[in-house]
Amino acid sequence: METLSSVRRPVRELRPGDHAWLAYSGEDEQRHVVGSFVRDGLDSDHKVIYLAGSDDVDVPGMNGVSPRPGLLTVVPLADARRPDGGFDPATVLKVLASEIAGAEDGDFPTIRVTVDMTFVLERPDGLTELLRCERQLERAVCPSTRVTAICQIDRRRLTPDARSALAASHSTFVTPNPEFSDSVLQIVRTFSPVGLSLLGELDASRHMVLDEALNAVLAASRGEEIHLDLAGLGFIDLGALNMLADVAARRSGTGPLVLDSMPVQLRTIMETVGWHMLPGLRLGSV
Amino acid sequence: MTPFTREAVEPRPLEHRAFLFGGMDDFLGTAVPFVREGLEDDDRSVVVVVKGTRLEALRDHFPGCVDDMFIDADAFYDHPVRTLRSYLELVKAKDPRRVHALAEPVWQAGWSERETLEWARYESLINEVFQDTGASALCPYDTSTLPPRILEHARRTHPRLVQDGGESESRRFAPPREFSAGVDRTRVFPTPQDSEYLPLTSHDLHELRQWVGDRADRHGLPGQDAQNLVTAVNEVAANALRHGIPPVGVRLWTDGPDLFCEVGDHGYWSDFSPLAGFVPPKTALESGFGLWTVRLLVDLVEVRAGWDGTFVRMRAGR
Repeated sequence: METLSSVRRPVRELRPGDHAWLAYSGEDEQRHVVGSFVRDGLDSDHKVIYLAGSDDVDVPGMNGVSPRPGLLTVVPLADARRPDGGFDPATVLKVLASEIAGAEDGDFPTIRVTVDMTFVLERPDGLTELLRCERQLERAVCPSTRVTAICQIDRRRLTPDARSALAASHSTFVTPNPEFSDSVLQIVRTFSPVGLSLLGELDASRHMVLDEALNAVLAASRGEEIHLDLAGLGFIDLGALNMLADVAARRSGTGPLVLDSMPVQLRTIMETVGWHMLPGLRLGSV
Repeated sequence: MTPFTREAVEPRPLEHRAFLFGGMDDFLGTAVPFVREGLEDDDRSVVVVVKGTRLEALRDHFPGCVDDMFIDADAFYDHPVRTLRSYLELVKAKDPRRVHALAEPVWQAGWSERETLEWARYESLINEVFQDTGASALCPYDTSTLPPRILEHARRTHPRLVQDGGESESRRFAPPREFSAGVDRTRVFPTPQDSEYLPLTSHDLHELRQWVGDRADRHGLPGQDAQNLVTAVNEVAANALRHGIPPVGVRLWTDGPDLFCEVGDHGYWSDFSPLAGFVPPKTALESGFGLWTVRLLVDLVEVRAGWDGTFVRMRAGR
C-alpha cells in the first residue's frame, strides 16, 4: 500500500497525538485493525469514542464482553442526519469534538477516537469536504497529549488524488498488529490478498508461530487462495517448505498457497528442488 | 483382466548396461542399432546423451530425428545428485513411454579421486532410483581412453556388460547399497587443526547463518552459492539439534577454492543408510527431503555416522 508521507505503524504502537489513517480493503481488515484499537483501549481503561452508523452497531474488538460503564461511547451517525436524508460532516465533527472535550474533562488518561470517514467521500465534492473534516480533527488531536485517532477509509473508493491528499493530512498510516514479532522474524496479516507477510528470517525455531498464524488465517478464510508475501524474507529453511506443503495438503481442494514476491535467491532454491516437490505451493507475483 | 491393465500393474524392470567400446566404429556398431531399436518401439522414448564427436556421428545417422533427442553429455553431467534428479524428471515427463537412453557419463582427467568416486556412485544409484521404471540405459565407456579404475567402476555399477558385440552378466557388479557404503569408507576425514568452531546450543540458528554467510562472502563464493550453503548448513544443524546428542557444533575451513562446513554431534545415527539423501523423495512431505535437498545445494556432502558421533561435511567451491 502506497502511503507517501505517512509513517507506517502497527495499531498497538499508536500514541496520544497520533492522527492516523487506515485504508482498509474490506470489512475483515477494518474489523481486525479497529478491533485491536478498541480492545486494547478498553483493556487499558482508555476512553473509546466510536463513531458508527447507528447506536446498536456491532463494535469490533468487544468479544461479547460489555465494557465498564462510561468507557465506550458510540456516536451514531444518525444524529447528524439532515432533513433531506443526507449526512452533514460538520455536524458529525461537532458531535465528535464535544465528546472528546467531555472525555478530556473526565478522568481518562487517554482517549481513543475512531471514525469511518468513507461516507464523507461519497458526498458531492466529497474529497474537499473530507479534507476539511481531517483538518478539524488534526487540530483536535495533534496538540493533544491524550487523544489518539484513527480515520478509516474504504481503500476501494480512493482515487490516487484522494490517497495522496490523505497521506499528506495524516502523520501515520496504521497497519495491523503483527501476529508475531521478535528480533529475527515478523509475521503480519494481509487482507488483500488474504494471507501473511513475512519479514526477516524463518527457521525451525519459528515454525510453530508461523503455523499458528497460518491457522488463524485459514480459520478466518472463506476458501480463497492464501498468499504469503515474502518480499522481506531473507532466509527460509527447508523445514518451512515442508511445513507449507503440509498446510497446503491439509486444505486440499481450496486452492494453493501462493508465494508472492519471493527474493530471487530463495526462488532459485525452490527451483533447484523443483516445484513438483512442493505440491500445493505456487509462485505468485515475482 | 485386460492385457493393458496387466501391463500397467506389473513392475517394469530397469535394463542398465555398460557398453565397453574401443574407437568410433565399435561405438557406432552397437549404438546405432540400440537407438534404432528404441525409435522403432512406440512404447519407448529415445534420449542420446553422449560426448561431442560421438554425438555428431549419431546425429548424422538419424537425420530425421528431433534435435532435442540429442544432449551433449558435458552439459548434462554437471553434478551427480542434480543429474540424477534431471534423469528422473525426464523419465516422469516421458511416462507412460519408457526412456531408452544412450547415456555416456563424463570422466574428467583433472578430477580428484573423490569426485570420480561420486560419479561412480551416481552410476550405481541408477540401479536403485530407476529400478521399476522400465527404462533401458546403455552407458558407453571408451576403453581406448579411460583409465582401468574407471572401467572397473563400470563393471561394479552395471549388472550387465556389452562388449565386442556380445552381452554378458557383470560378475563384478555390486548392489547400490554395498557400492555406496564402499565409497563412504574410502573417505579421508581429518578436520584441519586451524578450522574455526561454532558451538550450537539453541534452536535459533540466526547466528550460525550469519557466521557461515560472512565466511562464504569473504571466501568469494557467489551470492547464490553462499545462500545455498547457508541453507544446507542450517538444515543439517537443525537436524543435529533435533535428533543428535549434544554437544553440537560446526567446524569451518577453506582449502584452495573450496569452503568446508562440518556439522557434528555426539549421537549415533544407528539406521544410517549409505543411500540416505541420494534417492529423490516424491515430494517435500516425505522423509529424506532435507538431506536430498542439502545434497543438491552444495558440491559434495559426506556423511560419517560412527560410534564417536555423526558428522556431515558440506563443500562449496568458488
